[in-house]
Amino acid sequence: MLTSLKLIIRPSTLSNYIVGTLCSLCIACSLNAAESSNEENSEALQVHGFIAQGVVNAHNSNYINADESLSLELTEVGINASYQLNEDFRLAGQAVYLNGGNRYHAGPRIDYLLLEWDAFHNEAWRASFYLGRVKNNHWLYSATRDIPFARPTIILPQSIYLDGFRDLGMGGDGGAIKISYSDDDFGEIDFNFSRGKSAISDEQSEVVIGKFALGNLDHDLDMQASVYWRPTFSQWRFGFSALDSSFAYDRAQVDNYFDSEFEFQFYTVNALYEGEFWQLSAEIAQQRYVTDGFYFPEFHRDNIAQGYYLQASYKVTKNLSVLTRHERFYANKDDKNGSELAEISGGSALSHFGFQNDNMLGLSYDFSSNFRINAEYHWMQGTARLSPIVQSDPIANANKNWQVWAVQFMYWF
Amino acid sequence: MSDICRWLNVVISSYVNYKDEIIKTILFKIAVLFLLLFPPQVYAIHVISNITAETKSLSVAQLRRIYSMRQVHWKNGSPIVVYVLASKNPLHQKFCKQQLRLFPYQLDRIWHKLTFSGYGVAPIEVATQQALIEAVKSTKGAIGYMENLSEASDVNIIKIDN
Repeated sequence: MLTSLKLIIRPSTLSNYIVGTLCSLCIACSLNAAESSNEENSEALQVHGFIAQGVVNAHNSNYINADESLSLELTEVGINASYQLNEDFRLAGQAVYLNGGNRYHAGPRIDYLLLEWDAFHNEAWRASFYLGRVKNNHWLYSATRDIPFARPTIILPQSIYLDGFRDLGMGGDGGAIKISYSDDDFGEIDFNFSRGKSAISDEQSEVVIGKFALGNLDHDLDMQASVYWRPTFSQWRFGFSALDSSFAYDRAQVDNYFDSEFEFQFYTVNALYEGEFWQLSAEIAQQRYVTDGFYFPEFHRDNIAQGYYLQASYKVTKNLSVLTRHERFYANKDDKNGSELAEISGGSALSHFGFQNDNMLGLSYDFSSNFRINAEYHWMQGTARLSPIVQSDPIANANKNWQVWAVQFMYWF
Repeated sequence: MSDICRWLNVVISSYVNYKDEIIKTILFKIAVLFLLLFPPQVYAIHVISNITAETKSLSVAQLRRIYSMRQVHWKNGSPIVVYVLASKNPLHQKFCKQQLRLFPYQLDRIWHKLTFSGYGVAPIEVATQQALIEAVKSTKGAIGYMENLSEASDVNIIKIDN
């Protein structure tokens, strides 16, 4: 099990150090690269991007907007560049603009900006180090959750890819290591490790803890690791991931809440099957969530939540696929119907705050190699994964049953 | 043609009871005659590399590693530059199934993840088979694929061992 480590270097100092080091390395390597021929440079530089716009509507919920109206708040735009500085070093970065309504705060973001060092390679092994802002590469779809054409559905399973935690779950400023091993007997094995810190904006803070908490929420350095294995020539791939993270809340001078610490440990097991017509995927997650303080100084809660989803897609024609998913999430594994939560809250929480289930049906149609439309309908039960996450809103989330549908066009290059 | 005959024999045998040897032989002869009269325009997909590459043969697993960007250097340590056609291109689809034994969407998934997460780069996509051949010819360390060997001059043909 992973445990929290406190680095002697403060995270803000660490971020400055990382940016400074990255800039120095870039200048040094660029000078070196400038000596290369133009032909080599054209292969060294790769630029890609995407643009996606959709319509979305949530019924009986403020998941997208407060008035439950038809919304165009389903915009995702991104552009990235990768530049091979020399044989061992590569610089890469991506900027995105996202608007998902109430799901996460709208605006531009530096998605990743990193320096890759290809430290070791031969025919079987490859070890790479990444320094800078790195993406979470540990869950089945975590590295591509904002990339419309590289994720299975518009709205991902909230038991794992919680929208309210998007900026925290996406990655952080720090470093990552990726070690790959390929062998004709054992197949393909990948080990990933990362350590980083996410800056939490006021808007993100509001999504997580609600607008009545006036203090600052800070993310300490987190640690994540994952292992993936695909047996030789197999259509199956299996993975395991672990995350250990902590947050601190510093109350404002006048505040409804108190200084607090949140500890978060998250484990997932996943499987993926890739057949000619059928694709199956499943992830099972367990999270331990410890709260000290916040509601009152002596408050202590140690909670274990569980969730899973099973997903199947079938290729009907060369360009058309149908997809279905069944998902369950329980905020407390010992109180799956939320009755205990409702009882001890004294009326501030409803029993359906204790779980969130989703049954969805979707379609995907490819117009060409880089133009697609996705459409999906979700039948939701329970509101355990709706914002604000720490303190659920009994007025906005009053309905146990709610539905979301979305249609999105996407183009990429 | 001998491969097609073998395949025909297997198909016919699987549909006809093994005791019906005469029917099986007649069906086989009719099928071979049909193929001789109307030969299908079938070209195998060939893996090609830049003329400077030292590697003359690869296993299917190695070729998969190269196209899934797990192996990015040749055995001698020089970088591999991977060229492909668009994922819906019929030649690319044939290459994926015949040589890599992968479905094109599996490669798309790997490449999209690398490209849009910052953890790697995808192969360089070109528009036509001719452009692909030209790119392999002119780029040191390049690998690609082609259908018609009559156009294969100034490139290495890499033998794929099963």
